[in-house]
Amino acid sequence: MKNFFIVLAMKALHLGLKIMGKNGGNFLGKLAYDWNPNIFKYFKIDCPIIAVTATNGKTMTNNAIGYVFKTAGKKVISNTEGNNMETGILSTILKNCTLTGKVKADYLVFEVDEGYVPVVFKDLKLDTLVVINFFRDQLDRNGEVESLILKINEFLKNYSGNLVLNNDDPNVARLGHANPNNENVFYFSVDKYEHATTNMKEAGEGKFCPFCNTRIEYQYYQYSHIGKFECPQCHYGNNNIYRTAINIDLKNKCFDVDNTTYHIRFNSIYNIYNFTAVIACASLYKVDTEIVKKALSEFVLNNGRLEELQVHNIPTIINLAKNPTGANVSLRVLNEDNDEKELLFVLNDNMADGFDVSWIWDINFDNLNNVTRIVTSGTRAFDIAIRIKTSGYTPAKIEPYLNLEEAITNLYKTNTKKYVIANYTSLQSTRKEILKYSEKKL
Amino acid sequence: MKELKILYLYPDILELYGDFGNIQVLRYRLEQRGFKAIITPYSIGDLAPNFNDYDLVFAGGGADQEQSILAKDLIQYKDNIQQAVDDGVFFLLICGAYQLFGKYYKGVEGNIIPGLEIFPYYTEAINDRKKRCIGNIVIETTLNNIKTKVIGFENHGGQTFDVNTPFGDVLFGNGNKFGDSKEGFFLNNVIATYLHGPLLSKNPELADYIIKYCLDRKYNENITLSALDDSFESCVREQLLDRFLKKL
Repeated sequence: MKNFFIVLAMKALHLGLKIMGKNGGNFLGKLAYDWNPNIFKYFKIDCPIIAVTATNGKTMTNNAIGYVFKTAGKKVISNTEGNNMETGILSTILKNCTLTGKVKADYLVFEVDEGYVPVVFKDLKLDTLVVINFFRDQLDRNGEVESLILKINEFLKNYSGNLVLNNDDPNVARLGHANPNNENVFYFSVDKYEHATTNMKEAGEGKFCPFCNTRIEYQYYQYSHIGKFECPQCHYGNNNIYRTAINIDLKNKCFDVDNTTYHIRFNSIYNIYNFTAVIACASLYKVDTEIVKKALSEFVLNNGRLEELQVHNIPTIINLAKNPTGANVSLRVLNEDNDEKELLFVLNDNMADGFDVSWIWDINFDNLNNVTRIVTSGTRAFDIAIRIKTSGYTPAKIEPYLNLEEAITNLYKTNTKKYVIANYTSLQSTRKEILKYSEKKL
Repeated sequence: MKELKILYLYPDILELYGDFGNIQVLRYRLEQRGFKAIITPYSIGDLAPNFNDYDLVFAGGGADQEQSILAKDLIQYKDNIQQAVDDGVFFLLICGAYQLFGKYYKGVEGNIIPGLEIFPYYTEAINDRKKRCIGNIVIETTLNNIKTKVIGFENHGGQTFDVNTPFGDVLFGNGNKFGDSKEGFFLNNVIATYLHGPLLSKNPELADYIIKYCLDRKYNENITLSALDDSFESCVREQLLDRFLKKL
């Protein structure tokens, strides 16, 4: 009875918020969870629940999976706004359930914060878990990557649902061994792309085999520690692959899986991994290939994930980078573009960013391709300026501004193409400031 | 051309917090002045280095699991390292490396990782795994008789005891233990500290102290380093000292 009243109260509150024009974020979930942490048990969900977790690429993959199902005409409930902790997921369910806790949909698709998978799915039955990557991320907030992986591994020991794993990340593929009796483990992989390297180019994790501590060997690295690897001692990594992406063509934004060519709207290697995970997931639910093709050819995310804008006719590409790998893959996209360009890097050190900005030294700023000027901003504008200077970039071409508006105005004093990299809390303010500048009469 | 030979220990393992930044800053400040930086990495499986062949030895901090793997490797060089320290080779040791050069590290479960016992301090993990000294930190140290503020970031569970010659006085942050007034360990030719990552990037005086020490020792002189354009560094110091010390 208690849960009924919680749901009733949250529904009323949601209605009130709606009337006031507010979305509420994870506010409803927070209230309900504080009231009863076992409330997840109350919901009656008959459809499959699919969850996506990763350090980078959760929102992209989650929303793309949801979009594929929607394109197939299914009813999908999903936390597309990125509220991915237990309270955010609870909010999404509360907004979409009946008073008796029934959730009517064909699929529930959730992105879940790496640390919250065991919490959310303690009482919710998970049908498929997709795991894409683990990178170092805000170490002062999250702790070492290893402890996160161990938590998920522990959860998976008693899990026998579908497990879709990136076989090119040694930290992810190891989860396939968590429950030796689970026959529903599906690995995906991406074939070597043209900018893959024989040595690791950017900071990465997982140098030693998690099973025998031997140093892992790589045939090649795609980016960071993602690549074709195997343990020379116990052959960890040598798995049967369920879906592999081949013929990666970033210039034409396409790749092949099982003799089908998929066109996408993004040109980065890490998104090929995200979309291969989407394809693997869609085929587990037998979605027609033509529908997946169509969905992926249309799918975009206009929230600062490789978002392309025209600002007074100056092409501008904005990308979020909240950790070294995020920044390194953003620079990969920049370096793979031969056009002349200028870079804006915005770095904040607010609570949600992590207070420690040491991670910027794990960003590879060497040999930037045709970057003629760099503007830096955010609460740590000078830190990032020093970082870039030390990598060998001419200091006279670096302009730090603590004030974001000033930084944007100065960024657009030339007509050169712009790349914008912003970390977590700086992303939306940077986007807003750019859009504001874009609407300004010059 | 004058040169400094730098031994970079376990660059592929002790690299959790961007510690490579220190090597890059040293190289940058040497090269800007026309000196050469020869950086030799050493990691598990490589040929044994002779520590006396180098002017500067650098080691950073790593993940817990990986750190215990390399502790076993490093201990085979104990005598050689002791000799190099006694001979005056400069050692810059961050976080995990700081702990490893002491007597021992006692983990949460009471397990002991033996240290190199080069220095008399020891470290014990705090019982509560979730409690760590995390945050921005400012200390005051004395370099060549000049008081200097050093800005950094600390993130350690280990509490280090029995340090007789600390690196500096804590002005903001924790230090060797929770709420300590002292941070790190300092000898003429050794700086061991919890200020992790790119410590030298915000502290050009400290970087130059190390460079001067190494050049003076190697070439038996009293060099005056030419000034570099440190305008970004000055800005960041002014901004952060104001922000952190004003809170007090």
